[in-house]
Amino acid sequence: MYKYILEGAGDINWMAIFALVTFFLLFVIVLITTYRTQPSTLNRLANLPLDDRDPLTFETADRHEK
Amino acid sequence: MAQIEKFSYDNAIVRNFAYATLIFGAVGMLAGLLAALQLVYPVFNFGTPETTFGRIRPLHTNAAIFAFVGNGIFTGVYYSLQRLLKAPMYSKTLSNIHFWGWQAIILAAAITLPLGITSAHEYAELEWPIDLAIAAIWVVFGINMFGTILKRREEHLYVAIWFYIATWITVTVLHIGNNLELPVNMWKSYPVFAGVQDALVQWWYGHNAVAFFLTTPYLGLMYYYLPKAANRPVYSYKLSIIHFWALIFIYIWAGPHHLLYTSLPDWAQSLGTVFSIMLIAPSWGGMLNGLLTLRGAWDRVRNDPILKFMVVAVTAYGMATFEGPMLSIKSVNAISHFTDWTIGHVHVGTLGWNGFLTFGVLYWLLPRIFQTKLYSVKLANAHFWIGTLGMLFYVIPLYWAGWTQSLMWKQFTPDGFLQYGNFLETVTQILPMYMLRAVGGALYLGGFFVGVYNLIKTVRSGELQKYEPAEAPARAKYVAHKGEHWHRWIERRPVQLLIGSAIVILIGGLVEIFPMLMVDENVPKIASVKPYTPLELEGRDLYIREGCLGCHSQMVRPFRSETERYGEYSKSGEFIYDRPFLWGSKRTGPDLHRLGGKYPDSWHYNHMLDPESMSPNSIMPPYPWMIEDNLDYSQIANKISVLRKLGTPYPEGFEEEAAADLERQAAKIAESLRNDGIEGEELEKKEIVALIAYLQRLGTDIKPIPQAEK
Repeated sequence: MYKYILEGAGDINWMAIFALVTFFLLFVIVLITTYRTQPSTLNRLANLPLDDRDPLTFETADRHEK
Repeated sequence: MAQIEKFSYDNAIVRNFAYATLIFGAVGMLAGLLAALQLVYPVFNFGTPETTFGRIRPLHTNAAIFAFVGNGIFTGVYYSLQRLLKAPMYSKTLSNIHFWGWQAIILAAAITLPLGITSAHEYAELEWPIDLAIAAIWVVFGINMFGTILKRREEHLYVAIWFYIATWITVTVLHIGNNLELPVNMWKSYPVFAGVQDALVQWWYGHNAVAFFLTTPYLGLMYYYLPKAANRPVYSYKLSIIHFWALIFIYIWAGPHHLLYTSLPDWAQSLGTVFSIMLIAPSWGGMLNGLLTLRGAWDRVRNDPILKFMVVAVTAYGMATFEGPMLSIKSVNAISHFTDWTIGHVHVGTLGWNGFLTFGVLYWLLPRIFQTKLYSVKLANAHFWIGTLGMLFYVIPLYWAGWTQSLMWKQFTPDGFLQYGNFLETVTQILPMYMLRAVGGALYLGGFFVGVYNLIKTVRSGELQKYEPAEAPARAKYVAHKGEHWHRWIERRPVQLLIGSAIVILIGGLVEIFPMLMVDENVPKIASVKPYTPLELEGRDLYIREGCLGCHSQMVRPFRSETERYGEYSKSGEFIYDRPFLWGSKRTGPDLHRLGGKYPDSWHYNHMLDPESMSPNSIMPPYPWMIEDNLDYSQIANKISVLRKLGTPYPEGFEEEAAADLERQAAKIAESLRNDGIEGEELEKKEIVALIAYLQRLGTDIKPIPQAEK
C-alpha cells in the first residue's frame, strides 16, 4: 500500500535527502564554530547568571529548627 | 564606561505565577489521583458525567501540563529573564494580562473539559474559542518577552533565553497547526485534516508539546537555576550551544514515533524512529551538562534539598530521554504501545523532570523574593524523599503492568489460539499494579502538600520585595570586530535568533508533514468506505464527548495477536471521513475499530448502563445518563454542512434531510432494542441509540457481512 502512496505523491525522495544534508551541515557548522570560540568568551557567557551573585546563599541549617 | 542606570525587577508577577503553580499543581495532581483510583474502583466515577474517567483524564493532563508546568515555566522565566537581561519586564500591563489571561484559560478548561466539550486531540482538547484565547495570551507573552529582550542592558543572550525563544516560536507554530478547525457552533468544531493526516499533525503537535512545553523551557530553567543554586557556572557553555541547536532541530521530527505500526505510511514512521534515536545525543549532552555543573560540589547535594530536587530532576530527564528513543524502536514499540509502559514513561518526565525542577526553583526563588530564608530545610528534605518514593511507587508498578499486559495480549497457546482471549483477563491481572500506582501518586501528592506548607510558612515569615532595585551600565553600542564568532553575532540579535529557530523547526515540520498533505488525493480510497450517517455522526460526537478514546484505541495493528483478537488490521483508507481521528493511544479497554456487528444492539445498551452486567469485574464506568438523556441533534444540519465544506462528500441539500434520516435510523435501532426485551419510553430519542449506531458502524466498511446475516 505504502508504495502506491509514495508513487502517487510524486518524487519525494529529495525531501529525505534534503533533511539529511541540512541536519548534517547544521550540526557540523555548530560543532566547528563552537570549538573555535575563545575560552574567555565562553567563560563570560557562562557566568551571566551569576553576575548578580546574591549574598543569600543557601544555608544548611534553617532558622526554624535552630 | 557607560553610565550606570537604576531600575527595578518586578517580583510581584513572579510571586503571582508561583502561587498559581502551587494551586494548580494541587488541582492537577488531585485530578490525577482521582483518575488513578477510578481505574481500580469504578465507584470513584461517582455516577455523574462530569466526574467520569473519560472527562477527568484530559482535565488531569491539561491541568498538569498547562496549569502546573505552564505557570511553573512563567514563574521561572519572569524571574530569570529580567535578571539575565538586566532589565525589568517590558510592560507591567502585559505581564498582568498574561497572568490573568492564562488563569482564565485554565478556568475555562476546568469548566469545559468536565462538560465534555473537547476536540479529542490529546493535550489540545480545548475547543476553538479557548484556542483563540490561548493564541492571544501567548502573543502577549511573546511581545512582553521580546520587548524585554530588545530593551535589555546585557548585550549577550544567555543560553537559557535561547531556549525560551525557541519555546515561544515553536509552541506558536504547533498550536496553530494542530488547531486548524472549522466551527460548527460556539463549542463544537471539526478539524481541517481527517484520518491519517489528522493523526500525523496531532502527534507532530503532541510530541512537540512534550518537547517544547515540557522540555525546552525547563532546559532554559535548568541552565539558569542549577548554576544559581550550585553557585557555579554551567559545566560547558560549548556543550550548551550544541545542545540547543541539535535538540531543537531533531526534536521536531520525532512525532511519528507515536504512530508506529499504525496506518501512517512507513516512510514517516521510519523518519520518526531515526530522529528519535538521534535525540539521545543532545538530550544526554544537556543532562550531563547539568549534572557535571555540580562537579566538585556533590558534598553540597547531601545537605541542600534544592540541589537534591534538581539532581533528581536532571537524572529523570536523562532516564526519560533514554527511554523515549528506545520506545521509538519498532520492535520495542510493538510491546510498549497502548500499554501502561507509556504512562510510566511520561510520568518519569512530568513527576521527575518537571515536578522536581519546579519544586527546586520554587524553594530557591520564593525565599529570595520574600527576603527571607526557607522555613524548614527538614520539611524540604521530607518533601524530597516522600516525592522520590512516590515516583518509584508510581513508575515501577506501571512498567510491570505494561509488560505484563502486553505479553498477555500476545500470548498464544501451543494450538495457536490466544491464551487470554478475553481482554478483561489482561486488565484484572494488573489491577494490583494500578493500586500501587495510586499509592505512589498519593505519596507524591502528600510530599507536594508538605512543600506547599513549607512555602506558605516561608512566605509568611518574609515580605515580598515587589520591585527589587537593581543597577547596571546602559547597553553600549557593540562594535563587531573582524572574525568574531558567528554565535556571538547571533546571540546579540534576538530577532535573528527567533527567525533561525523558526526555520530550523519549520524544516522538520514541513518535510514531515508536506508529503502527507500531498498524499491527500492518494490515501488509497476504498470504494466501500462511506461518510457517517447523521445518527452515527452524532454517536461519534458522543464518543468524543465522553472521552472514550482515553481507554479505547481504534487502530488494529498488523500483528497476528491483534488480528486474531480484533479482526482485520486497520487501513488508512478507512479513516478518510474521521474528523477528528480517534485512534487513541492507550488500551485500558480493548480496541474498538472492528467492534461493529460483533454484539447485538441490546448488548451495547446493557453494557453502557452497567458494564459489569455484560463483563463481570470490568473497570469501565457506567454511563446511565446516555440511557436517560434525549439526543440533542439540533446542530446536525450545521455539522453536515461544515463537514461538506471540509471535503466529506455529503450530497448538496443533505443537511435538510439529515434530521429525518437520523430519526429513521434511530427508530430501527430502538425497534431492535425492543425486540431484545429492552423496555423504555421513547428509546429512539435517547443518546444511547446514537452511540449504538456509531459503535455498530465501526470498522464495518471493509468487513464482510457475517454469513448468518446474509
